[in-house]
This record gives sequence, C-alpha cells and structure tokens, in this order.
Amino acid sequence: MSETVDRERAIDRELTMSRAMVEAIATEMRDDEEVFYMGEDVADYGGIFDSTQGLREEFGYDRVMDVPISETAYLGAAVGAAQEGMRPIAELMFVDFFGVAMDQIYNQMAKNTYMSGGNVSVPMVLTAAVGGTYNDAAQHSQTLYGTFAHVPGMKVVVPSTAYEAKGLMHNAIRDDDPVVYMFHKRLMGIGWLPAPDGPKTPVPEEAYTIPFGSADVKREGADATIVTLGLHVHRALDAAESLSEAGIDAEVIDLRSLVPLDTDTIVESIEKTGALVVVDEDYRSYGVTGEIVASVADEALGALDAVERVAIPDVPIPYSRPLENEVVPDADDIEAAVTRTQ
Amino acid sequence: MAESDRVAVTLAEWPDDVDSDEGVVVNWFVREGGRADAGDSLCEVQIEKVSLDVYAPAAGRLTEVVVGEDGEFADGDTLAWMVPDGG
Repeated sequence: MSETVDRERAIDRELTMSRAMVEAIATEMRDDEEVFYMGEDVADYGGIFDSTQGLREEFGYDRVMDVPISETAYLGAAVGAAQEGMRPIAELMFVDFFGVAMDQIYNQMAKNTYMSGGNVSVPMVLTAAVGGTYNDAAQHSQTLYGTFAHVPGMKVVVPSTAYEAKGLMHNAIRDDDPVVYMFHKRLMGIGWLPAPDGPKTPVPEEAYTIPFGSADVKREGADATIVTLGLHVHRALDAAESLSEAGIDAEVIDLRSLVPLDTDTIVESIEKTGALVVVDEDYRSYGVTGEIVASVADEALGALDAVERVAIPDVPIPYSRPLENEVVPDADDIEAAVTRTQ
Repeated sequence: MAESDRVAVTLAEWPDDVDSDEGVVVNWFVREGGRADAGDSLCEVQIEKVSLDVYAPAAGRLTEVVVGEDGEFADGDTLAWMVPDGG
C-alpha cells in the first residue's frame, strides 16, 4: 500500500473507544507473550462493556481468562504474576466492586515495590468500568476517581476519546508500575448505551503512546478554564459551545491522567483566564474538584479570580432517572457554573 | 466514475439465532467520503442482542451512507454505497 493511501486511511478510519482499547491490548499481546487479561466475563462475553471484544478468539483461554466472582483472588493473582515478571491486565467489571479487594489494590498492588525496597516491581494494569447516566443505581454508577488517585503507588488514567484510549492503554501496559485505567461506560460506543458525539475519533493503525501527566487542551478559550475528565470532557465542550453564543469563551482541559497530575497546563490556563471551573463525576467532598482547586491555589493563588466546583453532591447515585439526571452534572450545570465566574 | 459502478454495502448474512427481522446500525467507522480496504469493518449493527460487523465489499471510497447511526434496516437492505478504487 502506498504511503499516501496509508496516511489517508489513518484519517478515514474512526473507532469507538472500546475498539481502540482492544486494538492496543491486542497489539501488546502479539508483541509480548507475558501480557494477558483476566476478569469477569472478559473471555466468552468479550467484556460486558466491550472492553475485550475478540481477544479470546485470537489469543485463547490461557491469555484471556474468565475468573470467578472473587476480586480478592484474581487481583491478588495478578499482583503475584506481575511481581514474577508477567504483565497482567486485570479488570474490575464495575469500579464499585473494588471494596472487596481493597487490600490487594491499596496495600499490595500499590505498595509492594516500596515495601520490598524496590526488589519487585508490579507492572500490571487494573482496568475498571466507571460512571453513571444509565440508571444502574448507587452500587454500579460511581466513578471513584478520588478513591484511586488518593493513595500513593499507582498511576490513574481516564481516557475521553478513542484516540486517548489507545495511546493511554499502550503506555499503561508498557509501564513497569501499576496503572489504574478507568474507562467510562457511556463513552465505549455500545449499542444499548449510546455514546455522545465525540468519543468516536480517527485512530492511527500503528501503535503510539500518550505520556501520563500530559493534560490536553480540548478547546482553547480566554475567559474561563473548565478542568475535567472522562465523560464530562464532552459535556464541558457542549457547555463551551453554548457559552460562546453568550460571548463567553471557555477553555476545556482534559486531564487524561489524575496521577500524575499535569498542574502546569492548568496553571498556565488559569493565568490566562483567571476563572477555574472543575467538573467531576465523582463525589464533591475530598475529591478531584477540591484537589485541583488546592493545587492551583498552591501555585498561583493570585491568578484566581473565581472558582466553581461541579460534582456529584454527597449522596449515593439514585436509580431513578430524573433523580440521577439531577445529581450527575450536565452541560447546563457546567454552563451555569462558568457564567457565575464571569 | 459512472453511478452504475458503485457497490452496495449490506450485512453479509442475517443471523440464525434471532427472531427479529429488523436491525439497528450502531456505529459507522468510516464517514461519507472516507476510504477503506476490502474486508475492513465499515459499521457495526445490532439485531436483538447480537452485534455484527459489516465489511467493505471492495477497496474504495464510501460515497453514501444510506442508513445512519440509530437507523433501522431489514435483511438485504443497502446500508451504504461504495465506489471501488481504479474502476
């Protein structure tokens, strides 16, 4: 195939976020036989949110493993395999299920390199489906970004589009330390859970990495800075579009990783706009919104003219559609918050 | 290129294990005007709970999407038109 056709194809081909994730995983599995995937319904079913579609067919049951509903057992097995030199990817079907395996995640995966004095590394990826907006109630709708970003010892990444999903996954699998890869169900491109416009993007066929700690300015603006991640990147972009009609020019920053956090990009934007609006689909208290505001205040307090936080009020996420819609921030909530800063 | 040279994009085979005679297009992976190789996945459709890919019948350019995302179709319906390379 000619170079011209190759280049053209890279632009023409669009992937859903789930297909972009799977493409990165499959490429890494072909290149390194130590990479394998384990989780609930990841083999025959292909992941209930399509996170592993087609992998079992290509790589077989030894490398794409369905596991019993026992998160402590299989996440512990992944930590052990990683310490022995393999590169496991282990999936929490819903991030909400982390509680039963909290010791394996918080005390083993995150700390074994430190506790062993650097004698072992834990090169594993913990994938987890996150987020609400589809009426799955309080135990299946959380993002828990803050819970994972809080503890030292693991990197935390959150893709917002197919392009990000592939580049972050390549980087996650190649990282020699544990990476938590949190994918939002609403962005995957599943038939029964339609994605908004935006996450389906052109995706290059070749492998590429997106370095952690590099936030992406998804939209440039001079009047206010909206800092967000995951699904809410798209809601913020919608809000910015409406705001532009009202003469307010909002910048939208997609964090892409919470650990490490790219404070520089945020501060640079705040020094330009003076107005900070942090939008999060996690709980308001002790979370991403407070952390971003504090980080900016540490470095550029004088640049802050106005601050707004938009997050889930501190309540369990309701099952009822109107109630869930009320507590999960939408474009109107973001628009109102930005307007209040002006 | 003459209009008659274009090729219809259709679902290769209606699955046996469904009752419904209607499906829904879930995702297009190539936009109108984009090109694809023969066998590339052009779109994903869903019939009841079964998801299937629809593949490019030839290398060429996707000139017209007939059934857009969320659009319904029946067995044999043309989902899009392609104009093959070279012609």
